[in-house]
Amino acid sequence: MGRPLIRRSAMPGLGLSMGITLTLLSLVVLLPIGALLAKGASYGAAGIWETVNRPRVWAALFLSFRLALAAALFNLVFGLVLAWVLARYRFVGRRLLDAAVDLPFALPTAVAGIALTALYAPNGAFGQVAARLGWQIAYTQWGIFIALVFVGLPFVARSVQPVIEEIDREIEEASASLGATRLHTLRRVILPILTPAALTGFALSLARGVGEYGSVIFIAGNIPRLTEIAPLLIVIQLEEFNYDAAAAIGIAMLVISLAMLLSINLIQIWSRRSLQDV
Amino acid sequence: MHIEIDEISRLFGATAALHPVSLSVPSGALVALLGPSGSGKTTLLRILGGLEFPSSGRVLFDGQDATGLSVQERRAGFVFQSYALFRHMTVSENIAYGLKARPRATRPNPAEISRRVARLLDLIQLPDIGARYPAQLSGGQRQRVALARALAIEPRMLLLDEPFGALDAKVRKELRQGLRDIHDNTGLTTVFVTHDQEEAMELADLVVVMSMGRIEQIGRPQDIRARPATPFVRSFITA
Amino acid sequence: MSDIPAFHHRSPTTEAPALQWALTGIAVLGLALLVLAPLVAVFAEALADGAGAALRSLANPDARAAIRLTLTIAAISVPLNAVFGIAAAWFITRFDFRGKALLITLIDLPFSVSPVVAGLCIVLMFGSNSLVGGWLVAQGAPVVFALPGIVLATLFVTFPFVARELIPVMIEQGRSEEEAALTLGASGWRVFRTVTLPNIRWALMYGVLLCNARAMGEFGAVAVVSGKIRGQTATMPITIEMLYQEYLSVAAFSLAVVLALLALVTLLLKAGLERRHADQLAATHRP
Repeated sequence: MGRPLIRRSAMPGLGLSMGITLTLLSLVVLLPIGALLAKGASYGAAGIWETVNRPRVWAALFLSFRLALAAALFNLVFGLVLAWVLARYRFVGRRLLDAAVDLPFALPTAVAGIALTALYAPNGAFGQVAARLGWQIAYTQWGIFIALVFVGLPFVARSVQPVIEEIDREIEEASASLGATRLHTLRRVILPILTPAALTGFALSLARGVGEYGSVIFIAGNIPRLTEIAPLLIVIQLEEFNYDAAAAIGIAMLVISLAMLLSINLIQIWSRRSLQDV
Repeated sequence: MHIEIDEISRLFGATAALHPVSLSVPSGALVALLGPSGSGKTTLLRILGGLEFPSSGRVLFDGQDATGLSVQERRAGFVFQSYALFRHMTVSENIAYGLKARPRATRPNPAEISRRVARLLDLIQLPDIGARYPAQLSGGQRQRVALARALAIEPRMLLLDEPFGALDAKVRKELRQGLRDIHDNTGLTTVFVTHDQEEAMELADLVVVMSMGRIEQIGRPQDIRARPATPFVRSFITA
Repeated sequence: MSDIPAFHHRSPTTEAPALQWALTGIAVLGLALLVLAPLVAVFAEALADGAGAALRSLANPDARAAIRLTLTIAAISVPLNAVFGIAAAWFITRFDFRGKALLITLIDLPFSVSPVVAGLCIVLMFGSNSLVGGWLVAQGAPVVFALPGIVLATLFVTFPFVARELIPVMIEQGRSEEEAALTLGASGWRVFRTVTLPNIRWALMYGVLLCNARAMGEFGAVAVVSGKIRGQTATMPITIEMLYQEYLSVAAFSLAVVLALLALVTLLLKAGLERRHADQLAATHRP
């Protein structure tokens, strides 16, 4: 006899909570995603491939992925430093710094987008300095990189910080008592403990970067094949009422997102397992 | 109240937490369900309380089929292993909870409720802790508050899941006597779950030894000690 | 800096002072340049022509319509999301059923989908040339390029916020308090109102806070479904974009200041919740 679909329980509210959950999930998330997939199906695999397999689309998908990867790598390193400093050191202004880490989560992307553009445009506060060094940031891929660093900044820091706070100091003392230098302890003892959380944060930051739109389009310049990101391409197709092409690119992005979601889940399963071994 | 368990079984998927078991608990008895973890004793207790449902079989209260009664209708005073005190309510609010939950027609008025709460606090010999929150109590105090809360609803029976499990040895001894006294004063049919054979033998009128979802032996403590029915019972009570 | 003893021995669990200074310097400088500078820029640009100009631009009818629309959308989508989050968390943590892991993954799905793709999905489902959308337009109730579409897009991108916050908290609190209330005779609603809700209220507030910030600030998904009709379907972020592209910098940044203030208030409340009720929040509490 198999496991029953739903185990009978004395808890009240099964029908109500299940009804609300499944209705809203279907209406808001599943049916719309289904509509995208259905559109793709009616367009056909050949049609999707024909749309995606164009230099401008490839360039946009590759650009979105490559810069999201670069920004996520930057945030991986910077997030680890941030989390360590916030969890371990006590200094004036630490609370302010701690709150500031979450600002990219709270600040609307359009606001971040125009603010970053104002700063890094050739006549902006930071842009002027860069221009003197012969370095243009806004309206180049550098600008997109900076926007993606901004929106992805909290992920690694916020994933790792609680793990650092939980580390048993005796582990570090044991390492030191065995003759390890501090650097050796950090590399060989602390870093492995932080790795699963750091990778989770990295993957979240990457996923966010690939799909990001609001903070990027102002600073990107949106030059086809150079600074045109994949989500913008969808918006352009929609503005031309080219729904098939929009759906094709949307499905390509959805596939990338789902692949990343899967990898996040695998990382979490793997990290849970490796922590249990300790 | 007389409790009759008639061929109750409980399946979790393919595994049986309870094979069909039958048991008769005489009115006013103090019964221990004794067994190691996974023996099905807690499942049986939760089925009695209406928190879980049997896959087959019947439960009878005073001869009436109670299998279909909801947890609220059973009016079983249930003491949880973790006590499950409402952490955001004071001790008095915890004890008054069941009375305030009654429909208006049978709900005592506020003055009567506070009188009853005070009486229960006296009964558990903690008259002065009504205004405190569960987090401010010791383990033994929490257990007694949980007992008072269960008694407040004027239950038809008392069901306790490892009532002494989370306590240290000294407190455990004191509270055993406390439970015995409350049982003797109220005359409530009482069933408690334990994995501690000494506790079961010392406290209960009737001990039900369980293992792997089956009842191994039912008997008075001295009979079980003198004549263990199976090798399992022998090894378990001498362990 | 952390406690550095006056004598030469350093605690074996801290770094050399020079390294501590260097790491702290990187963290402070990095956050100042990457995060705080843009925030300052918002205020500086808004006040470029003085406070009067900034305030005047906010009194503009289009700006006011945008503020009203954004508030309306949040007022509809945030409560709906809270109801969903509570129901989903109750269903997932209070019952045992097959496919629970899949359900949780599906609830989390919107976090992994690009907002633009989310908007696209809603256009394809409810747009005037879709089956459902065509019928709705014929009934005089269009979804896309109208309020319902914006609400749906907002719901999509904020979908997991409340559920995600409540699920770990309710798993950790367990079912025994609710079971105890049931054995004491309380009805289902009473159990929820008197036992569950008080235990999850801070986590709920935390989730609602983050959900609200995202709902008011969402740009990508709304940009696709709104049609950007000035005074009608242009939310605050959309209006900011339109003003900015018309080179009305002060007006754009003035509206941005309003949203930035909302973000700051959100962070302030969030920090307060985290400090006072850390033990009852999923984000700050690891069992």
